[in-house]
Amino acid sequence: MSFIEFKNICKKYENAERNSVTDFNLTIEEKEFIAFVGPSGCGKSTTLRMVAGFEEITSGDLYIDGKRVNDVAPRDRGIAMVFQNYALYPHMTVEKNIGYGLRNMKVPEAEVQKKVDWAIRILGLEEFRTRKPKNLSGGQRQRVALGRAIVKNQKLFLMDEPLSNLDAKLRVSMRNEISKLHRELGTTTIYVTHDQVEAMTMADRIVIMKDGVVQQAGAPMELYEHPVNKFVAGFIGSPQMNFYPVTIDGREMRFRDGSKVRLPEEVTKRLEGRGGELIMGIRGEDIRLDEDSLERYHQDRQKAVVENAEVMGNENNLYFTFGGCLSVARVSKYEVSRIGDEITFAFLPEKMHFFDKNTEEAI
Amino acid sequence: MLTKKQKGINWILTAVLLVLSLFFLFPVVWMLANSFKPDAAITADMNTVAAFIPPAPGGGFFHNYLSILTNTNFLRYMANTLFYAAILILCGIVVNGLAGYALAKIHFPFRERWVLLILLLQIVPMETILTIHFLMIAKVGLLNTVAGYILPMIVNPFNIFLFRQVFLNLPDDVYEAAQLDYCSPLKYFFTMVLPMSKTVVATVSVFTFLNVWNDYLWPSLVFTSSNLLTAQIGLNSITSNENTTMGQTLAVITMVTIPVIIIYSLFSKQIVEGVTSTGSKEG
Repeated sequence: MSFIEFKNICKKYENAERNSVTDFNLTIEEKEFIAFVGPSGCGKSTTLRMVAGFEEITSGDLYIDGKRVNDVAPRDRGIAMVFQNYALYPHMTVEKNIGYGLRNMKVPEAEVQKKVDWAIRILGLEEFRTRKPKNLSGGQRQRVALGRAIVKNQKLFLMDEPLSNLDAKLRVSMRNEISKLHRELGTTTIYVTHDQVEAMTMADRIVIMKDGVVQQAGAPMELYEHPVNKFVAGFIGSPQMNFYPVTIDGREMRFRDGSKVRLPEEVTKRLEGRGGELIMGIRGEDIRLDEDSLERYHQDRQKAVVENAEVMGNENNLYFTFGGCLSVARVSKYEVSRIGDEITFAFLPEKMHFFDKNTEEAI
Repeated sequence: MLTKKQKGINWILTAVLLVLSLFFLFPVVWMLANSFKPDAAITADMNTVAAFIPPAPGGGFFHNYLSILTNTNFLRYMANTLFYAAILILCGIVVNGLAGYALAKIHFPFRERWVLLILLLQIVPMETILTIHFLMIAKVGLLNTVAGYILPMIVNPFNIFLFRQVFLNLPDDVYEAAQLDYCSPLKYFFTMVLPMSKTVVATVSVFTFLNVWNDYLWPSLVFTSSNLLTAQIGLNSITSNENTTMGQTLAVITMVTIPVIIIYSLFSKQIVEGVTSTGSKEG
């Protein structure tokens, strides 16, 4: 049996017109790091709060470690949680915050002290142990919140957008710290975030949600390479995947502006003879400007004028209009183009994704 | 940075406030200065500036005070009042605080209506409520007892409202975190909610103290035994005694006034913060 099992979980708030979470099914294995991602209001935090026991489950069953926990109080579920706003006890020092739960669990004082010291040490909070939360920076506060969670030796960590209040640089370093902690402790973790980069870099598996419904669950690269629908394809990856309404006629793919690309046989095979109007999606890095690719796809070279260029340092994002749609190509820092430059590029046909025009499901 | 004009306006405002404050201060200064004088000196200094100047410290400087403290039960009345205030502050914080917390954070049917009902209680004249309290206390045989005086005073709609307004702003996730830290709801209230709401606790404590200290009607209804009387009733009985001199009267009034002034000066910041943070003021 899996460590956590969601069986047809639904959540509907009183007086709400529709479910916040609909028919959520998922199994999580022990020691897994799972990320719930999705846009605001997609139900990811609600699902996490149902696991914590802070939200009632309208219907369905939730099992933790083989035990149905629908009606079990949060404190008895064996979980520790890190909150978005840290939820530290403002009148307690760092060490008291970290040791509070242990003291309530009636753990002998010597052991509390040992565990608190351990948490303080591995989180690098030695010099702040007697400070109160108001005298700590955002990153330090988040570390205290992590410390409070890890000292209790719970079997499940829940993290509700724990890094969203931190600045970009700190977010990256905290991301690494959390991943490192997970590797060291091996505690099963459910991590909620709206930031797909966090999810991609930290999670063993990602669950993508939209309007309370799971769109796809899988390993980061599986989601990146094989999105099941246009939403997942667009949500995962930065910059976002380019989408073009196209018409497939045999091996020819026609864009709205009349541009044409000849599809190789393996792609048409993948389409299983489906033709007509579809949506073609392609990631920015699969729009190539390099000599080798242009040589390889010399018959299907396209031209466009750069409308905007984002210089990222290690790479550049070039924005241009093609096929009637704003497009972005992610190119190496050596392929310098300026706004107004005409670029020649080629799509990598084997990297194209096709979606049904109406259902937006992947083909 | 203030402009020259703004600085000028500030100076004028300060001057006006200073003059206004003198109007309020002068009876207090007069009372204080004359409370150290014998009656003959008070009469002699009347209508002169000397009425606002205390006598030079000497042998009989504290005579009026000492005679009040040694010849009457006033010290006991003051101690009684402090004792009642202390109990009422403690009980009031627990009872009104818990009620305020429930009305702010616990979801139950008609919660908002309950809040409205409690607010409406403020409209009912105190005298009406006191009559009912008196009848109830008399019925259960608690007249002339400390419990009879204290019990009806514990619940205070205004304090409940004050607590509720402050508790509404407490973050829910701290409660959730405390739940996961094996903290019971009651423990959460005492070890988290109250320490996180020090300002309103201080405000309610000060208001309760002032209410008890200045209360005359309720203790005069409940108490008949002189051992249990409060400072205000003591003040009345001492000042209405024909043997009490003018200097003694002023001394006893000073003794009743000073604690209020001290408490108010010490906690004025908390009172202002507590009341402004709730967007209300005591009616």
